[in-house]
Amino acid sequence: MSQPGRRHRGALEVKFVPDEEVLKHIAEDSGIKVRKDKTQLTVTLKTFVKKLEDISDDGAQEILEEKNYVAALGICAQGSMGNGSSVSGGEVYSFQTPRHSSKMVELASELAQTPGQMVAAGHSEHPEKTAKTPQSSTWKCNLILLFAWQRAVLRKCMFLLMHVFSLLLQSKKKEFVSTTPYRLRKRLAAPDPDLESESEYSASCSEEDEEDQKEGSAGLSGQKTPGKTKAASVSPLTSTLAKKVKEDKMSNLVEEYFEAHSSSKVLTSDRTLQKLQKRRLNQQTLHDLLKKAPLAYAAEIKELNQQHESLFSKWMLHLHWGFNIVLYGLGSKRDLLEKFRTSVLQDSVHLVVNGYFPSITVRSILNSITEEVLDHTGTFHSPLDHLEFIVKRFKEDSSLELYVLIHNLDSQMLRGEKSQQILAQLSSLPNIYLIASIDHINAPLMWDQAKLSLYNWLWYETTTFSPYAEETSYENSFLVQQSGSLALSSLTHVLRSLTPNARGIFRLLARYQLEYKDNPSYPGLSFQDFYQQCREAFLVNSDLTLRAQLTEFRDHKLIRTKRGGDGVEYLLIPVDDSTLTDFLEKEDEDV
Amino acid sequence: MSTCSVSKGCFVFKPSPKKRKLSQKTANYFGERNNASEDTDLRFVTCQSLWNQIKSETEQIQEDLNKQLFDNLVSFLRRSHSEFQEKTTKWTCRMKSREIPTAALVLGVNVTDHDLTFRSLSEVLQNNITPYIALLEAKDCPGIKNLIQKLMGQLMNCYIDVDSLEDEDHVQVSQNRIRCSMTSIISWYQNVTKKTDSETRSKKRTSSSRHWQSPPVVVIFKDMESFTTKVLQDFIVISSQHIRELPLVLIFGIATSPMIIHSLLPHSVSSLLCIELFQSLSCKEHLSTIIDKLLLTAQFPFKLGEKVLQVLINIFLYHDFSVQNFIKGFQLCIVEHFYSQPLSVLCCPLVDAKKRVNSLSRDQCENIRRLPSFRRYVENQVSEKQILLLTADNFLKEITQKLLEDLHVYHENYVSVLRCLHVFTSSLPKYPLGKQIRELHCACLENQVWQTEEYESFLQLARMLNKSDLVTMLEQCVEIFVSSSGKEFDKIVEKLKEFLTQFQELEVAEAFQERDGSVSAQKELQKKTDLYHLQKTLLELKESRRSRKLTKFEMLRFEVVEYIDSLVRAHLVPADHKTLHEIVYFNTASVLRGHLNAAPRVALHTSLNNPYCYLKNQALKNDGGNISNKAPDICIVYKLHLECGRLINLVDWLEAFSTVVTAVEGPNADATSSDQRLDFVAGVLAAWKELNCRILNQHQQKQRHYSSHIFQWNYCQKSDLKVS
Repeated sequence: MSQPGRRHRGALEVKFVPDEEVLKHIAEDSGIKVRKDKTQLTVTLKTFVKKLEDISDDGAQEILEEKNYVAALGICAQGSMGNGSSVSGGEVYSFQTPRHSSKMVELASELAQTPGQMVAAGHSEHPEKTAKTPQSSTWKCNLILLFAWQRAVLRKCMFLLMHVFSLLLQSKKKEFVSTTPYRLRKRLAAPDPDLESESEYSASCSEEDEEDQKEGSAGLSGQKTPGKTKAASVSPLTSTLAKKVKEDKMSNLVEEYFEAHSSSKVLTSDRTLQKLQKRRLNQQTLHDLLKKAPLAYAAEIKELNQQHESLFSKWMLHLHWGFNIVLYGLGSKRDLLEKFRTSVLQDSVHLVVNGYFPSITVRSILNSITEEVLDHTGTFHSPLDHLEFIVKRFKEDSSLELYVLIHNLDSQMLRGEKSQQILAQLSSLPNIYLIASIDHINAPLMWDQAKLSLYNWLWYETTTFSPYAEETSYENSFLVQQSGSLALSSLTHVLRSLTPNARGIFRLLARYQLEYKDNPSYPGLSFQDFYQQCREAFLVNSDLTLRAQLTEFRDHKLIRTKRGGDGVEYLLIPVDDSTLTDFLEKEDEDV
Repeated sequence: MSTCSVSKGCFVFKPSPKKRKLSQKTANYFGERNNASEDTDLRFVTCQSLWNQIKSETEQIQEDLNKQLFDNLVSFLRRSHSEFQEKTTKWTCRMKSREIPTAALVLGVNVTDHDLTFRSLSEVLQNNITPYIALLEAKDCPGIKNLIQKLMGQLMNCYIDVDSLEDEDHVQVSQNRIRCSMTSIISWYQNVTKKTDSETRSKKRTSSSRHWQSPPVVVIFKDMESFTTKVLQDFIVISSQHIRELPLVLIFGIATSPMIIHSLLPHSVSSLLCIELFQSLSCKEHLSTIIDKLLLTAQFPFKLGEKVLQVLINIFLYHDFSVQNFIKGFQLCIVEHFYSQPLSVLCCPLVDAKKRVNSLSRDQCENIRRLPSFRRYVENQVSEKQILLLTADNFLKEITQKLLEDLHVYHENYVSVLRCLHVFTSSLPKYPLGKQIRELHCACLENQVWQTEEYESFLQLARMLNKSDLVTMLEQCVEIFVSSSGKEFDKIVEKLKEFLTQFQELEVAEAFQERDGSVSAQKELQKKTDLYHLQKTLLELKESRRSRKLTKFEMLRFEVVEYIDSLVRAHLVPADHKTLHEIVYFNTASVLRGHLNAAPRVALHTSLNNPYCYLKNQALKNDGGNISNKAPDICIVYKLHLECGRLINLVDWLEAFSTVVTAVEGPNADATSSDQRLDFVAGVLAAWKELNCRILNQHQQKQRHYSSHIFQWNYCQKSDLKVS
């Protein structure tokens, strides 16, 4: 259908497409969906089939070529570790599909309903299920119509297409609203029922809904309807060879992409942590708990690690042949590198850099080389000078050898272009041997061709599955109570050294702040008001003494001042409310 | 000493000087599983010497390829400031226009290789033109000040290198460096040239014969595109002001196209330059020369298997166009081969190999017997010989020597015949077996080339060649065979020459025939024609053409093609059909690919989606796409994470996770004790943190979503207020 249209670009051609044909087309496309429809397909139009075959031949050819290329890259040759090279690119690099949050719950329940067994993917079942319900079949018809339109109409008459599209959507919307369960309708009534929500929910059958709720055990009390996404029902369509379908897939992908990225308003679940009747853990308990918890699959992980460890001598060999080594793969590679260090590098000079350390800089790395390895005291104007000095020293003295181990070369602090350039230049020295590990999924993007050639990497896959305990110890989690105890103790400590009057001033400010803690736009207490209140409480007698006190607080970073729009000075305690409350309670006990 | 600290990120470890071994031998790392220990050293030495040979060879090739370019550049540099030398009036006219002679060097997109080119270029210039060369890179020159500083540093350093200045001068130089400006460069230049002038007069130094009295100052911009426009403009304008005192020549290294100069510099600036264009050799030609000289030669014993070569070429073509990386891959192949194959001891020149065979140990003999190609060989022998081969080491060694020699001869013949075949295939329409010789090589290595369809079409096309083409091809083939060192080629050359003479004879004979033919044709033309007769004659002609006997030329052509075909069948047998090919061929492409062209993303994806690939536990086994609830926490969390949109609701997510995990324990999930609950929350937290902090970089927005919920939660607890 599309072929003639595409050939004569200029001419618009609209054909009548009989239902059978369209159905047939869909049938050709998706192997799964059709089974039911096939019975209807008694009439086949020969010409159409022929054309379709031609096209699919074309597509097959293309795919074959693609395969050739992939095969030539050696993908078919399986690695010793089975490094999953059979995964196609589409799977790895996929768009984030717009999904409803309760989809996750659904998936979870699916995963859970067959304990200990494999669980079939949610998607593969949906087409059949949706096919049962009458509502969804009308939706399907709409889809089919849409496909037909898309194919028949050229780019020139896109406008027309859009119009039809919107009409279709409108008609669908009506039908959709009328068939949604009550809860969904309620939710949809409030926000804007725009395009996004359209594709988000297709009509779901209520019986399945209930099933799901039963399965999703007590934990899922307030669960929403698991909306069948459009993506789920369409995705099986796309797995064919034909060119046409490829196009459709393309447009689907595009749609999905824009659905995922265009809408500024994102539906979020309104459930809060309040419903979990659990206190937040503090850092220490979390740490203890994690330590206590047994490592799953310890034996297998150990075996994996042993495999990696057997390659140590090969690493050394490659290092000495002028290559540098980069380790990648899931799991912490710290222990592995530590083992390498202690077992092989014991007798040579080496530098360990914790890239995940929050305040690591290139300068500190260069400093430790010059100061501790080269025993040079002195400062440098810029990292470039610094680097030049090191390069010169290493070139002069060929007996100098240095092994550099960098955990997490891709950390926040080191991933900058300049840092990488300097490290690359450092690693290109023949007597500096670099072994680094990367974790971030996009880490290789930090290197361009020039840097790559300086680094001269050899990649080693070291998937260890061991927990990133050390690496994440510097990071904070929202679920863990921040170390408020530290702030509290320092607060009391500082205040104890002050005069009673000063303490009173601070308490006054704290109380005032707590009173207004509900107000998110609370600017702070203005200086004038503060002075007034302090005077009334007989804490100060002039604004000069108050200012002197405030300076003291400011030096200890107990308060922060900022100017409002009207030039008035506002005072604020930069401590979170719970700590402040605790502090006041304690103070009251003391008094 | 541990490497965990909350205050430090770098740790230096220095072993005590007693323990420090100054030069730990690399050879120590060569022995892998402690077997065949006496051979590892030898293997290492062989490997190293082979690599050194290859390295010097590649450098030589590089030099030869660049020679033309460099010669042009040198002559340009000579020309550019000859007027300055002669101090003629012509120079003064030029001076008025203030044009800086500039060479635009178009190098191509393979940025990685440029370094080497520039290094050799500066060497050549240093030897021929001038000691004053500065190589500038964009990353060193963010501003004009840095540029001048860098320039001065390089110029004055090189000056010290050349003339070995005394200390006082050195101090002076470093003082100069502080107030770096163009004027100080000029005063330095005048100083230097004056000094050399006087020196040459008094001492007649040797260096003066190479350089002129006032050699030009060459400034090379390695990567012109990445310089800031402003810096370049400023530099050009400033130096054009001083061109009368300082004979400056610029060389721009350009990766894209020469148009970039005009798009980077406005007309007012580019008019200050007198640009001449130089084009370097394309990287593809460079690669084919390298392949020609390294792989298609019997000079080096080491060979690449088909898949390995394919991987290297694909990395070149699809990723970087870098010959340097190709050579690096080749180096890795060598190391890998000598490291993993114990029999690679024999991968050396034939004479040495024969000697080494004699001194093989028992284990090594066993290794030979274990080679699959050798087994095949044994199976084809008579039974007594089989027993001898499998039991008697001495007999085995003898046979091995013979086989090695066979292999060597095979290589020699292979290369020549391959080139010969390439002469034919490369001129046919549509290039049935590839345009480049490397494609032909791969095809021949892969399987028996004469069984492929492409070869069939090649034969068909070859049978339709015209005479002049055929003759020139045959002549080329003769040349190839004559120049090659193979011993068996005398016969082939004779045969080919015979064909050539036959063609010549045919030409003479044809000349006669043609004369006859033309006469008869004329006669026919004179006849009257009517439609009926014409039709009849045409039909007759058609009939006769169908059953026509082949002309002499066609017969001869057929013969030639047959002969070439027989040559191909005899000599282009794929290498893995040869006995003992494992010794010299490196064939494990997967290792190479894993090291050079890794896919970290795929590895992460697989380990998260299908942990069974790594953790060989039956509980994790599945048929694809799905993970069981027994998978490691991080896998489940990842799966759930994929199901979320852009924002993750923490509660939903937590509960989803708990549903998955607690389902294992039974249906009564709410009865789980608080301890377990805590446990699992901790697990989730850790997994989430890992996923978030390490592997995926989350959006700030998402975190805010988390944080707002936590804030609400916290708040509700404290104040007992309901917030929804």
